[in-house]
Amino acid sequence: MDLSLDAATIEFQAEVRSWLATHVRPLSSMDTPDGFEEHRAWERQLASARLSVVSWPAEFGGREASLLQWLVFEEEYHAAGAPGRVSQNGIFLLAPTLFAFGTDEQRARILPAMARADEVWAQAWSEPEAGSDLASLRSTAVRCDGGWLLRGQKTWSSRAAFADRAFGLFRTGPGERHRGLTYLLFDLRAEGVSVRPIAQLDGEPGFAEIFLDDVFVPDHDVVGAVGDGWRVAMSTAGNERGLTLRSPGRFLAAAGRLVELYRKNPDPALRDRVVDAWIGAQAYRLHTFGALSSPPSGPAASVTKVFWSELDVALHETALDLLGEAAPGWRDGWLFSLAGPIYAGTNEIQRNVIAERILGLPR
Amino acid sequence: MTPEQLALRDAVRGLLDKHSDVRAAIETPHGYDKDLWARLTDIGVLPIPEQYGGSGATFDETRIALEELGRTLTPSPLLASAIAAHALLTSTGAEFRGRLLRRIAEGAVATLAWDSVAVTATPAIDYPEVNAASDYLDGAARYVLDGDLAEILLVSDGEFLYEVDPATLSREHTPTIDQTRRLATVHLSNAPALRVGRWSPEIRDFALAALSAEQVGAAARALELTVEYTKTRVQFGKPIGSFQALKHRMADLHVLVETARSAALAANDEVSAAVAKVYCSEAFFSVAAEMVQLHGGIAITWEHDAHLYFKRAHGSRQLFGSPQDHIRRLTRFAHR
Ligand SMILES: Cc1cc2nc3c(=O)[nH]c(=O)nc-3n(C[C@H](O)[C@H](O)[C@H](O)COP(=O)(O)OP(=O)(O)OC[C@H]3O[C@@H](n4cnc5c(N)ncnc54)[C@H](O)[C@@H]3O)c2cc1C
Repeated sequence: MDLSLDAATIEFQAEVRSWLATHVRPLSSMDTPDGFEEHRAWERQLASARLSVVSWPAEFGGREASLLQWLVFEEEYHAAGAPGRVSQNGIFLLAPTLFAFGTDEQRARILPAMARADEVWAQAWSEPEAGSDLASLRSTAVRCDGGWLLRGQKTWSSRAAFADRAFGLFRTGPGERHRGLTYLLFDLRAEGVSVRPIAQLDGEPGFAEIFLDDVFVPDHDVVGAVGDGWRVAMSTAGNERGLTLRSPGRFLAAAGRLVELYRKNPDPALRDRVVDAWIGAQAYRLHTFGALSSPPSGPAASVTKVFWSELDVALHETALDLLGEAAPGWRDGWLFSLAGPIYAGTNEIQRNVIAERILGLPR
Repeated sequence: MTPEQLALRDAVRGLLDKHSDVRAAIETPHGYDKDLWARLTDIGVLPIPEQYGGSGATFDETRIALEELGRTLTPSPLLASAIAAHALLTSTGAEFRGRLLRRIAEGAVATLAWDSVAVTATPAIDYPEVNAASDYLDGAARYVLDGDLAEILLVSDGEFLYEVDPATLSREHTPTIDQTRRLATVHLSNAPALRVGRWSPEIRDFALAALSAEQVGAAARALELTVEYTKTRVQFGKPIGSFQALKHRMADLHVLVETARSAALAANDEVSAAVAKVYCSEAFFSVAAEMVQLHGGIAITWEHDAHLYFKRAHGSRQLFGSPQDHIRRLTRFAHR
C-alpha cells in the first residue's frame, strides 16, 4: 500500500494546516446555549475558507476533495485541536443521504445552508421504546393537504436542544416494522414541536427529547420515496458507523496526546497500554487507507464502529490511569467516550451485524 | 454471617432504604446527611470497644455497614472515621486513645491523612502539652477523606501519628468527578501537632480492606440494578436480558462480584489487603462500565444513577493508591 501523498494533496494539507494554526481557539462546551453559538460561528468561519465540507461539490460550498484528502483534512483538524463539529450530524449523516436519495431542489435548498451552519441539524430517530430496535418506532406521519402531520416522541437527539432542524423516521404505513417508514425533515421550532433538553453525565444538555404534536411537514421535505424510509435511513447509518463520523484523525491526535502524557508521567505499569492505544490508532488509520477505494459501508461499517468506539474508551482510560484523576483536558473526552459504544447503534448490535451479515452465522 | 451480623445488615439496609438520598446529600454544604450519620452511629457501626464509649462493634460489623453504604453510594463519614478509630485503637498511647475514641463514638467526624501526605515534622520543645512528644508540621495532605469537615484530624508522616487541631491549619474541599465522596486538601504551616502514636503499615491494610468492602457493596448493587433493568427493558419483542450476549456478561460479572466479596472479606494482612484493593477496584470498575453499556442511552443521562456508580468506581480505584501502585508492591511478594 502506498501511503505517500500526491502534490495536490500536500498543497491542500499545507493550506489547511496554516489556516488552522491561525484560527483555532478554544470554545465553550457546545452543549450550552452560548457555546453552541460559538461553535456555529466557528463553522461559518470554516465555511468562509471553504473548509467546512471539503469533500462536497463546489456548488454547495465544498471543494470536491478526494477521500484521501478528506482523511488528511481530518488529521490536520484534530492535530490542531480544533473544535468539535456542531454541524456533524447534518454534514456526515444527512448530507450523504441527500446526495444519494434527495432531489436537486432539496440539495440546492438544504446543503449550502448546512455548510455555513445557518441550519444546524439534529438526528431524530430513536424513541423511548425504539433504541436498538429502531424498526419498532411508533411516531407517525399522517397525510394531509400538501404534506404530512407528525405525531409522537423522539429521544436522545444530540444537540436538538439548540439545533434548528431535524431529520427523522416516521411510520406512514402500510406494513409493520421496517416497512411503511418514511424519512422526513422538520423544523425544530415549528408549531407543535416541544423540545425538552436532557442533561448528560457531565450535567450539560447534550441531547433532547422531541415531542411532536401534529407538526406540519411539506411534501418537499420527504427524502426518498414514501414508505422507503428504512432503506434511506440505513444509508445514513452506514456513514454514522463507518469512518465519516469518526475519522482516524481524531484518534491519531488523541494517541499523540497520550504518548505526550506518558513522557511527562512515565509509569512502566501502563507502558504497554499506552503503546496498545497508539497502535490501535495507527491500525485504524491503515484500515481506512486500505479502504480508500471502497469505503466501508453497510455491514463493513460495523467493523469500524466497534473498533473506533472501543479504541476511544481505551485511550481515555489509559490517560486517566496515568494522571490518577479525571484531570481537565481528558475528563470530558473520557465521559463522552463512554457513550461511543452506545450511540450510532450499540456495539452489541454491531456484533450481531458482523456475526450474521458478514460471517453468515445462523440467526 | 452470624445472626447478629445479619440483623445488623438488615438494620443498616432498612435505614438506608428509608433515609438515604444521595442526590439530596451531595447538594448539602457538607455533602452528607447528618441525621442519617447520627442514626448509623446509634446502630453501632464504628469499630470502637465499649470501654471507650463505643458499641463494641468490630471491623466485621464495620465492613458490613460499609458494604451497605457502598450499595447505595451514600455519602458518609464512616470510612474516614473507622480508619481513624482503628489507628487510635491499635497505634496510639492509652492517654490519647480514650479521649479521642469517645468523641468519635459520639459521632464526631474523624479522619486520618496517610496516603498522599507530604509533611515534615520539626520537634518542638516548648509545646504546651507536657506529657506528649510534640512537633510542628509543614506541608500538605491531599485526597483526605472528609478532610475539610473532620473535627478530629490525624496526620501520618509515615513514621508517627499526629493529632492536629483543625483550627491551626487551612483546608479546602477538593471536588473530584465522584461527587459522592468528600475529599479535601489540608495545608499545614507550622501547625502544632501532638504526637499520639506510631504509624503502622497495618493501618494502611485496614484502610484498604475497609474500602474494598465498600467497593464490593457498590459493585453488587450496580449489577443487581443492571439485571433488574435487563429483565424489564424490551427490544425486538423480548426482554434484553434474554439475549445471550448480555446474559453471559452479567453471569461473568456475578462471578466477579462474588470473588471480589471473598477477597474483601479475607483481607487481613499486607498481601491480602493489597490483593483485595486491586481486585475489588477492577471488579467494581468492570461492573460499573457494563452497567452503563447494558442500560444504553439512559445511562448517559444525569438523572440515571449509572454515572454515579461509574464515577464512584473510578474515584475508588484511585483512592489509597491505584491498582498499579499496589501491584508494584505485590510484585515484591511474588518474587519471594
Ligand atoms: C450520547 C448519545 C447520543 C445519541 N444521539 C442520538 C441522536 O442524535 N439521534 C438519535 O436518534 N439517537 C441518538 N442516540 C440514541 C442511540 O442511538 C441509542 O441509545 C442506541 O441505539 C441504543 O438504544 P437504547 O438507548 O434504547 O438502548 P437499548 O436498545 O434498550 O439497549 C440496551 C442494551 O441492550 C442491548 N441490546 C439490545 N438489543 C440487543 C440484541 N438484539 N442483542 C444483544 N444486545 C442487545 C444493547 O446493546 C444495550 O447494551 C444517542 C445516544 C447517546 C448515548
